[in-house]
Amino acid sequence: MKSNIKYTNPVGVSRYTGLLLILPFIIGSLVLTMYPFAASFIFGMTDSRSGEMVFTGLGNYRSLLSDPDFIDSALVTLKYAAILVPLKLAVSLFIALLLSIELRGIGVWRTIFYIPSILGSGLAVMIMWQFLFTSGGLVNQLLVLCGLSPVSWYGDSRYSIYIIVLLRLWESGSAMLIFLNALKGIPREYYEAAKVDGCGNIRGFFRITLPLIRNAVFLNLVLQTISALQEFSAPYMLTGGGPMKSTYTVGMLIYNEMFRFGDTGYANAVSWGLFVVITAAVAVLFRLTGRLSEEI
Amino acid sequence: MKKIVLTAAALAAVTLSSCGNRNQDISVKPDGSLDPCTLRFSWWGGDDRHEAALRALELWSERYPDITVIPEYGGWDGWTEKTAAQLSGGTAPDLMQINFDWLISMPKGGDAFYDLYSIPERIDISGYDSEVLSFGEMEGALRAVTISVSGRTLFYNSEVYDSLGAEYPETWDELIALGSSFSGKGAYPLDLDIQSGGTAWYLAVVYVQQTTGRQFMTMDGELGFSAEDIKLALDFYRRLEDERVIRTIQSRTDEDGNAALYQSPEFIDGTVAGVLEWGSSVGKYEMVLPEGVLEAGPLLTDGESTDGWMIKPSLMYAVSAQTQYPDEAAQLLDFFINDPDCAAIMGTTRGIPASSYAQAALEEKGLLTGLAMESDELLGGADTIMVSPYMELTRIKEYCNEAIEKVSYGQTDTGAAAEELYNSIQGYLEKIRK
Repeated sequence: MKSNIKYTNPVGVSRYTGLLLILPFIIGSLVLTMYPFAASFIFGMTDSRSGEMVFTGLGNYRSLLSDPDFIDSALVTLKYAAILVPLKLAVSLFIALLLSIELRGIGVWRTIFYIPSILGSGLAVMIMWQFLFTSGGLVNQLLVLCGLSPVSWYGDSRYSIYIIVLLRLWESGSAMLIFLNALKGIPREYYEAAKVDGCGNIRGFFRITLPLIRNAVFLNLVLQTISALQEFSAPYMLTGGGPMKSTYTVGMLIYNEMFRFGDTGYANAVSWGLFVVITAAVAVLFRLTGRLSEEI
Repeated sequence: MKKIVLTAAALAAVTLSSCGNRNQDISVKPDGSLDPCTLRFSWWGGDDRHEAALRALELWSERYPDITVIPEYGGWDGWTEKTAAQLSGGTAPDLMQINFDWLISMPKGGDAFYDLYSIPERIDISGYDSEVLSFGEMEGALRAVTISVSGRTLFYNSEVYDSLGAEYPETWDELIALGSSFSGKGAYPLDLDIQSGGTAWYLAVVYVQQTTGRQFMTMDGELGFSAEDIKLALDFYRRLEDERVIRTIQSRTDEDGNAALYQSPEFIDGTVAGVLEWGSSVGKYEMVLPEGVLEAGPLLTDGESTDGWMIKPSLMYAVSAQTQYPDEAAQLLDFFINDPDCAAIMGTTRGIPASSYAQAALEEKGLLTGLAMESDELLGGADTIMVSPYMELTRIKEYCNEAIEKVSYGQTDTGAAAEELYNSIQGYLEKIRK
């Protein structure tokens, strides 16, 4: 049946209509993203510690390469990302697989697993983590109950990074949702046909599930890597970057240079250093995962 | 290519010129009248200070119903950074409680704060000693008014000391001897930190100043300690840990995480039975223990003199240079430093008031008592040194805390750590003095 409703375009139709419609985004992007982005590079060429902004050329950027604080914090950040990202992908995929099973009340479980992602790393979470990981905390009590030695989570520079890793693992809700959405898009018939051919669950996961959700895996890999390389709030709240700067990420260095030491120019230069590190990491991931998808 | 270069140049010009504008003095001139308005007033501190200040603001709203005051308050951690961001971004509160070193360390330094000499009819400074007033003066302008002058002294959990039959130490040797008697009970006579308080370095500086007679840092930012003096300070700290007078940094971090001492179970249950704190801020430690349990202990000496202990304007009030209401903000400042009823409400939560009017009001009401007063009296009887604002700079504190941490974790010996710290401080002071 033909509809009698006539649709009219409130802004009229002209060659500029499309441009007009995307104008808010363009303005927002230019003012709120591109301008600060470019301006930060220019601020990185200044020194304002004396109260007056002095143009110093590329001095701050050159200092980055020889600054032990930047090099050490970049290494801490890369180590943290290398530990966290694979673990987070594995954990969130595992949870997503469990939550993709259609059971009564599964929606409640999905909500429960997503809640930690909303909590972030605020004061309440910091206090909870202290109850868990300080020397007399719950985790150490459990370790002792199991006959193991307690771990110096906060005080030993070998373990302190795992407090933050565990916090971020606990907050795997967003990655889990992306996997869940991808899993729900796989037709059940594929599994049924494979089962008829004698394919078990584990083989089905590697031969059907993983290849069909590879785009979601790649998306999560990139998003989680970027997020890990930008880590700031968890070490700031939980460890203060210590002990012995073992959790002192580039994000913390930027914050300290900017707000604690008042070195705006250098803080902006470090931000650009982090930008280069992230860009390089994502480029490597694109290259690696491109090869992987070809092999699959 | 030419277009790209031109665009980049234009962007740079716009960016740098907009920064320049922010640095201009945009002060509103005082008009001599009190108009209806809303002011923002910020401070940091413990619950005792918050509760008293909020009660004082209730009194203010009765006196000046047309001038609403929005309080902004919280703990010390992160407060400096927050205020620096506010001052940079032009969103600073009208009236602020500030630290002494902020006059040189904040963006724009002293220029970030209003010249209070330009509002003489609103602020009565006749109750101030000229030397105390001079702490807030910069190049003829009064950028801040001292609330109280205080120093860090030692406070002990009397219940724990009594139960162990221990006396409060009077000399450095007595303090060190306490380590063994406390360790048998799994307790510590004192706690020192390398967090924002930085009490570990502070006490080590007092020790070296008393021992050598040299001042760590002068008021105009010259390093008075040699590398050998710094080594002496680090050796002293190391000895405190080795003799179990204080917890090692690792065990302290393990037990407390990133929490402040007064929030830690170890302080509240008496495992840690002493603290080095400003007289003006000791209330937060007092509040978490049963009433009367925390007591002030004597200033430690080498057996001869109490030299080396330090004082400073522990807290100051300043009006933001960007305020739209200088008269009203100055009136609020005057209310908090001079008004007798306000002084009675505030008590000694910001230390013993420097204003003689506020002091007289407290004396009349019998409120010049408590730990802040005892601490003040102890320091008043000693030949104290003024803390250099350069010693309070965050970067300097960071260098000192890092050196202490390296020594505590055994990552380096005290000689190498002292050499590195000496060079770092010298390098930084030279850079900021340029």
